[in-house]
Amino acid sequence: MGTRMSLDPRTKLYLVLCLSTLGVAVTDLRLLLVILAAAAVAVKAAAGSILNLLGKLKRFIFLFLIIVVIQSVFTRGGTAVLRLGQINIITDTGLVRGVQTLLRFLIVLVAAALMATAKPRDIIQGLIQLRIPPELAFMVTMAIRFLPLLRDEAVDMLTAIQLRGVNLKKIPLLRRLKMYSYLLAPLLISVLLKARDLSLAMEMRAFRAFPRRTSLRTLYLQPADYLVMAMATVFAVAVAASAILLS
Amino acid sequence: MSALITAKDLSFRYDKSERRLLDRVNLAVNAGEAVAVVGLSGVGKSTLCYCLSGIIPHVYQGELEGEVLLDGMPVKAMSLPQIATKLGIVFQNPDHQLFSFTVEDELAFGPENLCLPREEIDARITSALEKVGLAHLRLANPQQLSGGQRQLVALAAVLCLQPSVLIFDEAMSQLDSDGKKRIKEMILRLKAEGKAIVMIEHEPENLEVADRVLLLAEGKLVPFAGVLPEATEG
Repeated sequence: MGTRMSLDPRTKLYLVLCLSTLGVAVTDLRLLLVILAAAAVAVKAAAGSILNLLGKLKRFIFLFLIIVVIQSVFTRGGTAVLRLGQINIITDTGLVRGVQTLLRFLIVLVAAALMATAKPRDIIQGLIQLRIPPELAFMVTMAIRFLPLLRDEAVDMLTAIQLRGVNLKKIPLLRRLKMYSYLLAPLLISVLLKARDLSLAMEMRAFRAFPRRTSLRTLYLQPADYLVMAMATVFAVAVAASAILLS
Repeated sequence: MSALITAKDLSFRYDKSERRLLDRVNLAVNAGEAVAVVGLSGVGKSTLCYCLSGIIPHVYQGELEGEVLLDGMPVKAMSLPQIATKLGIVFQNPDHQLFSFTVEDELAFGPENLCLPREEIDARITSALEKVGLAHLRLANPQQLSGGQRQLVALAAVLCLQPSVLIFDEAMSQLDSDGKKRIKEMILRLKAEGKAIVMIEHEPENLEVADRVLLLAEGKLVPFAGVLPEATEG
């Protein structure tokens, strides 16, 4: 693993905003590739390696292929690349649109992975220092903190079902979906109970006593943060200008 | 000695229920005193905790009569943040009370809400962690601690608000024997410091730290004779 560049979470948030906004706004395939490369470089600098990210993206390959095919099949116009009788199945315009969508997805996912390189407590502190209301910042805390627990709980329930002799891999899809639906009610109840207890615990520790709160820790932007934000701004302006010239 | 927390003719019925869970309950707990409340499941022990801590009527509503005085002030007239500086409550399940990524953040949450200066927050965290014997775990992730340690973190988080009254709502029910021992030691220490303590319990071996044991049955709070009603019927 390479060396990591330590950045303030607010800088990472700025990078994510720049990259994902460009990814959504730009249509040119070459520029989209440039943005994706920039996002990958940012993740490599922040995480030390992008192998872990690539491993995670592997799970989405099937989804990506479906997106490309659907986009290209349902886009009208252009020259047919694949025809079935009189019907154009895939056209060149459709293919471009499909690859465009795929690149956009990848940019957003890779950019979002930047945030995963920040410590959750720093993200929350960053949000609070950005003057995001504490209620919203703590909603983010809860999501980051409890989503993995929720997944573990769902896995435990699935294991419990399988221990009763149900082999989920061997039963038909419809029955399997029905089986999953049985998990939904207990999972939902468990989430609601946890949320109720947590909100009580928070209220009993003076949450929302005042509109603002103080903080034990404070994040300070370092020269590297300013440099990265300046570079991101220049990059965003350059890409936007290129997009205008190419359109 | 004047009581730090008092319930006067306290009655309560949930909106959708026919039954009064509390029926003219009277209770007074002095500084340096620990009172245990025992009773069968569903008799209203937690409801009593909610009434004493102001969760009823501030969060949960129902038909409430009588009053609870906290340090001489009616809890009805106080806001929850005001109550939190005088009364702390430790719930049954530590996993449903802790939400931060480090013990330090968990403890800082309350004092931060009170807008205390950073130095004061830091001092309170250090003091609370030393009290519960977890100073070495300040930067640990609460999720990676044992059940007993997590419950001590929950207690330390409450102690950071420096309340004079503490309620333990079956706080030992999910702990192993070591965890129970540590919480009981803490109750004795807090009692010695002059805190008023109300503990909801159902395990007889946890009652040894209490100065008085009361039984909640059919909405009434009476001195505990040593046997729960169900056991008497048997």
